Amino acid sequence: MNTRRFVSAQALAEAVVRLRELGIFVALAFTILFFSVRATNFMTADNWRDIATDVSMVVVVAVGQTMVVLTRNIDLSVGSIVGLTAYVSSNTLADHHGLPIVVTALIAMGIGALCGLGNGLLVAVGKIPAIIATLATLAIYRGVLFEVTHGQNVFASQLPQSFLDLAAKKPLGVPSLAWIAIGVALVGAALLRWAPWARDFYAVGSNPDAARLAGIPVARRVMTAFVISGALAGLGGFMFAARFASVDAVAGRGFELDVVTAVVIGGVNVFGGSGSVLGAVLGALLVTTIQDGFTLMRVDEFWKIFFNGAAIVVAVTVDALITKRVQEALRRRRRAELLTAHERAAET
Amino acid sequence: MRTVGQLAWKAVARWEMLLVLLILAAGVWSWTLSSFFLRRANLLDLATPYVFLGLLAFGLTFVVIAGEIDISVVSTMAVSAVCFAQLWDSGVNVWLAAAAALALATGLGLVNGVLIGVLDLPSLAVTLGTLAAYRGLAYVVLGGDAIAGFPTHFTNIGGGYISNELPIALLVMLAFAVALGLLLHATRFGRYLYVLGSNREAARFSGIPVMRTRVTVFALSGFMAGVAAVVYLGFFGSIQADAASGSELIDVVTAVVLGGVDIFGGSGSMLGVLLAFVLVAELRNGMQLANWSGATQDMVIGGLLVGAILAGNAVRAAQARGWRLGMAGRRWKEVHHAEGQEEVSVRATLKTPGGGSTR
Repeated sequence: MNTRRFVSAQALAEAVVRLRELGIFVALAFTILFFSVRATNFMTADNWRDIATDVSMVVVVAVGQTMVVLTRNIDLSVGSIVGLTAYVSSNTLADHHGLPIVVTALIAMGIGALCGLGNGLLVAVGKIPAIIATLATLAIYRGVLFEVTHGQNVFASQLPQSFLDLAAKKPLGVPSLAWIAIGVALVGAALLRWAPWARDFYAVGSNPDAARLAGIPVARRVMTAFVISGALAGLGGFMFAARFASVDAVAGRGFELDVVTAVVIGGVNVFGGSGSVLGAVLGALLVTTIQDGFTLMRVDEFWKIFFNGAAIVVAVTVDALITKRVQEALRRRRRAELLTAHERAAET
Repeated sequence: MRTVGQLAWKAVARWEMLLVLLILAAGVWSWTLSSFFLRRANLLDLATPYVFLGLLAFGLTFVVIAGEIDISVVSTMAVSAVCFAQLWDSGVNVWLAAAAALALATGLGLVNGVLIGVLDLPSLAVTLGTLAAYRGLAYVVLGGDAIAGFPTHFTNIGGGYISNELPIALLVMLAFAVALGLLLHATRFGRYLYVLGSNREAARFSGIPVMRTRVTVFALSGFMAGVAAVVYLGFFGSIQADAASGSELIDVVTAVVLGGVDIFGGSGSMLGVLLAFVLVAELRNGMQLANWSGATQDMVIGGLLVGAILAGNAVRAAQARGWRLGMAGRRWKEVHHAEGQEEVSVRATLKTPGGGSTR
């Protein structure tokens, strides 16, 4: 009796998540339909390659952000980490032309992971609310970037040709950066599905106290999430350098907002404990497609900023209302079951 | 003997004293950078460029004490300043436009408040969204243009001086500090916020109108953003849609947290925030004198923000441990005392039967 109720409740919750993803998918389909009618050059292979390249940076960083948000935290510092690692990647390659590109990517991820560790320590050990801690590190990492660059830029002409070719390559017709994003999304989704420590993110976010009582090392899991987010922001920075070639001290400014919007629109609940990589990827696709469509329709840059913010508010509202409904439904169902159990007990 | 708990309690009670000491220390540092620092004119004028940040911090103080956060204040200020400028530019009387700006800012705060208080959404996510949405609105209204040339009788609020020395903006800020300090510390509404920030469930059960109070606190924060917009326009004399889109937010949050307001809600004082604001303004001024880059300055303020919360957490942890220590000490003493008494009484009973026989 007891187990059956548990399974059905879980099934209901899972159905809601699937429905949420389906909702984004439908919204995406409508968006694509709208722009293909209204915006010229939207349904061209070139434009889709542009979208794929743009979306891949968002996706890579959003996978890390998803893990952080699942633990009921947030990482606003990713914009600065992307800027910092983008500069470091391109500067390293400008100085050492012979360095394998993979090594550069690993350096960027390492620096990103260190930044993430800093966030994780502040949040998990220092007990600072994530939004405040990462707001501070957003400023701190940007300051480090300024100190490192001394206001200087790295230009495309200083970079080795192999690196400049990276973003232009299209194995199997798909931009190489998109392949990286696909890989990261698959690994991220697999981890969240099957790796026990990544499953713990859900438990930590649903109820930190219960997770602690269940023996989950909550502080360590939160740190892990932040380190992964930092490392992936580092990879995002590397991709940024590959895409734009010339990098300055304001690189990646405001990028955190794109990422958070993608994750929140994608149905990763800001209360923690629910959401998926697939949702975040769909969210990133939706945000990027809409922005691309706006550009093609020559809508003001300014509306995009407004749209990002409004999208966060709407997504959060919808999610909160859905969560409330589901909880009420579960409560009703539990009450009904208890009543029938009571009646049965009375009969016998 | 004083217990650790009592000492820690003293430390909390003296948080404001610590801020005063820090202000003096930062003053000495600034003085070594430039001997102009200690001139009366400079000391009085030190905070003027940052007064709008102080006003934003005052509004945010109420929100944080109530256990919430409002990071949209800088954008709210920008929208209302931009709308003010557009109205004035289209021929509306400058004071009427200012009133409209105040009303708009309060309305935007109210939107936050309804989403958070009525729909019960997390303030973090809502104000993160409106931080971007309101900024977008500012761009939509003004685009990439700038508006300047407001009449002097208006700009005096933010940039004028009394007898060429005393900044009017400073007086405006002090007046708001006093008024808001009274609202926070001497009214029922203010006390509600502390209860709300300590324990929302308890607040609900004790009959506090939780929803209304939460909505009001965000409207108040919005209103203060409107006041900040007026002072901002007065001081800078021009407005663009990207106004206060950089390090301003972190300055505001730092002033609130460094002022001793518990980031988890339930405690804090207006005086503390005022002092912390002075410290932040003084540090900015000093770093400007030392010719540090903007990003380096932000790094320092960011470090200060993190350090302030870590220090607060450490004090609170020591306090909790100290209280337990103190309690244990007291209990030990009580037990000891009781044992002693028992000993005495046992001895007494031993003595009485025998009377004076043993001696």
